[in-house]
Amino acid sequence: MERHYSSIARTPTNSLVVKRRTKSKSYRLSYQSCFGAGSRLGLTPALTARRLNTSRRAPKSHNITDKVNAEQLALLVKTEWQLSYVTPLYQFRHTQLKNYSRQLSAFIAAEKQQGLAVEVEGPQGGIRVSFSVVQGMVEAADDAETVLIQIHSKPLFARPDEPQKSVWSGWLTCINGNPDYLHSLPEDFVCLPLFCSSGPENLTTVVKSWFQQNFDCCFGPLDISHTSLQWLVALWTNCHAESSIQHLKMIWTLPVAPPLQITYTVNPQDAWELWSSVRKDPQEENKAGKDVEEDSIDIEEVISFIQALKSHFYRHFRLDLSAGSLNQVSTALGSAKYSGRIKISNSKYMITTLTLLTECALLKMPI
Amino acid sequence: MDDSARRLLQRLIRRIPAQMLKTTLEKWGRLTAAQKQSMDFTEPKWAFTERLLDICEENGWTGKHITELEMTYVIDNPNQGMWYAFQLMDPEDDARSVELTHFKEQFKSHLSELARPVSVKIKKHADDAIWIRIAWGDSFSRPNHLKPTYVVHHLQTPYVFVTSLTSKQKPFLSQALVLSTRHQAIKDASLSGRKLGAIRDLLMRQYQQVFPTSYPSPLAERNETVSNPQIEKEQAKSAENRLQMACEAFGDGMLPQLQSSVYKLETKFKDHTNKTMTEREEPFRCVVKFASTNLLESLRHCAASGIASTPVTPLLSSIPLKGRNYFVIKDNGPGPSSQTRQTQN
Repeated sequence: MERHYSSIARTPTNSLVVKRRTKSKSYRLSYQSCFGAGSRLGLTPALTARRLNTSRRAPKSHNITDKVNAEQLALLVKTEWQLSYVTPLYQFRHTQLKNYSRQLSAFIAAEKQQGLAVEVEGPQGGIRVSFSVVQGMVEAADDAETVLIQIHSKPLFARPDEPQKSVWSGWLTCINGNPDYLHSLPEDFVCLPLFCSSGPENLTTVVKSWFQQNFDCCFGPLDISHTSLQWLVALWTNCHAESSIQHLKMIWTLPVAPPLQITYTVNPQDAWELWSSVRKDPQEENKAGKDVEEDSIDIEEVISFIQALKSHFYRHFRLDLSAGSLNQVSTALGSAKYSGRIKISNSKYMITTLTLLTECALLKMPI
Repeated sequence: MDDSARRLLQRLIRRIPAQMLKTTLEKWGRLTAAQKQSMDFTEPKWAFTERLLDICEENGWTGKHITELEMTYVIDNPNQGMWYAFQLMDPEDDARSVELTHFKEQFKSHLSELARPVSVKIKKHADDAIWIRIAWGDSFSRPNHLKPTYVVHHLQTPYVFVTSLTSKQKPFLSQALVLSTRHQAIKDASLSGRKLGAIRDLLMRQYQQVFPTSYPSPLAERNETVSNPQIEKEQAKSAENRLQMACEAFGDGMLPQLQSSVYKLETKFKDHTNKTMTEREEPFRCVVKFASTNLLESLRHCAASGIASTPVTPLLSSIPLKGRNYFVIKDNGPGPSSQTRQTQN
C-alpha cells in the first residue's frame, strides 16, 4: 500500500491570523480567507469570512437522469446517508480506482484478522470492494467527479452459489464547490469534501482510516445546522411549483421535562402560497440594481418564511417555537436531520441539495 | 384440545414475558398445587408450553379456558396497543338502573344477533370495571380468537374504552353497547392513548386538579434550583403566577400519561405584516402533533417555564378539560371575533 508521509505531502497548517502577521505569501489559502479575499487589503470586513452563502440560486429541476447512469442514481436516492466532511485528498487519482478497490479490500481483510467483526466467509473474507465514478453529476468545471464505493460480501450462512450482497456503500462528492477555494488548492489535491455513508459503523470507520492513511486527509462529523435546515425548508418548498412536495413536515424539540416533540406538517399548496407571498418583489430588486437573470433566493426571504410559519403556530398555541430547536425537515423530495442524516427521495432537485451540503462541508473543514 | 386452542396457547405463552408467567398462572387459578409444583418456570418457553399443553390435556381443558387465561393477562397488563375512548349519549330513563347481570345478558344477546357468530366473554374486575373480550367470526369461519377486541366499561359512567377494533366491527359493537346500556347513541370521544389507566383517569378526572382561588397562594415548587437570589426575588411573582396557571390548566402532581395530541388546523392565516396571505380566502391547512412520554407534564412545564404564554390557550387546556386529544380547529362562521375558535368533531 502506498503511504504518503513526506513532509511535502502534509498539508501546511496556516491560519488566517498567521497570514496577517507574516508578509510571506501563503502556501495555500484557507477556506475562510476566500470569502474575505479583500480582507488582506483591508477592503472587506473580516466578518464576511466564515459564513454560508446568503443568497442562492433557486433550485431548477435538473434532468439528472439524462446525464447519470440510472443504476448508479438508484443507489444514491432513497437511502438515508450519514454525512461527514473530509479534507482534500492528496494524490487521489480517478484513474486508479481499480487499484484502490483491491487495496481497500485487502485492508479490510487485514483489519478483520485483527479482530474486526465483519460478516464474511472464506479465506480472503469474500469481500469485494468496488470504486466507481458517477459520471455526469457535476456541472462546474472545477468540481471533481463523484466517487462511489461499495462493499459486497456474502452473508454468514449463505449457500455457495448465493451472490454477494452490498453491505456498505459510501460516496464522495463536490457539487458546485467554491471556485476560489478550489483554484487555491495546490496540484495533487483533489477536493471531495462531502462524504456520505450507509451501513455498519465499523465498516465506515475502516474505510475512513484507509483514506486517512493513504491520502493524508481527515474526516469529521457534519451536522446540518439550523440555518441549513431552514434553507432546505425554503428551497424544497420553492420546488412545489414544478413538482409537488406532497407535504412540508418540520419536527421541533422543546427543552422541557420530559422533552416535547412537535411535528408541524403543512399542506404543500398552502406552504407554497405562503412562500410566494414572502418573496421579494422582482420589481424592487430591479430598482436596487440587482441582477435578476437567475431567480435567486435571499436569506431574508427564508427567515421571513420560517417566521411566518412560527407566528401561525403561535397564534393558535401561544407557544414560541424559537424556544426549541428544529431537528428534521422532510418533504417528498427528501429528508434532512440535524444529526447529519440526509435522504434524497427525488433525483430531480438533488443538485441543489448537494450544493448546500457541499458548502456546509467546506465550511466545517478545519483548514 | 383442538388445533386452534393449541395455537392460541402457544401464541399466548410467547406473548407473556417470562417474569410474568408465574403470577399470571397463579391469578388464573386453575392449576392444582401439584401441577403448579411440576411446572418449571426457568426452562425455555417452548418446553414450558409443551408441559402446559400436557396439563391442559390431562384436565380436559378447551379453548374457553385458554381465552380465560388470556383475559387474565390482558386485564393485568392493559398497556399494549392503542386504546380509544367512546362516550355514550342521551341516556334513557332507566339507564341508571342497569346492573351487571342484566347488562351481561343484554350485551351478549344483542351482539350475537348482530354479528353471528361471535364469542363473548365478560368479566367484572375488582374496581367495578367490566371487561369484555370479543372474538369475531363471519359467515365462512368460526370466531377468530387470535385477534380479539377488548372493551372496558364502568357501569353508571358513559365511557367505554376499546382496543383492536376494525372499522367493520365497529357498528356492531356500538349498537350492542347502546342497546344494553339503555342509551340512544355512542360517539367517538376523540381520545386515544397507549395507557388505559391514563385515558381513564383523564376522562374521569382522577388526578389532582387545581382550581383558581381568590387568594392565590404559591404552590410549593417541587425542585428548588439554587440560583442568583436577586433574580429569584425579581422573578418570583411572575414565576408563581405562571406555575399557578399551568397547574390550573393541567393539574398538579402526577398527571395521566398521554403520549400525543393531534390538531388538524383549518384556520385562515392572519398576519398584519403579510397582506397577501391575510387576504386569502382559503384556510391555511396544517396538522400539528405534540408527542412526549408524558404529554401533559411536558405541556405543564412549557407553561410554567414561560415557553408557552400564560394563560394557557384553550387548545392546549382542552386536553385535560374535555378529555380528548384529537381536535379539528376551524374558524368561526360569520362572526365578528377572530380570536376565538371552535372545536368541532
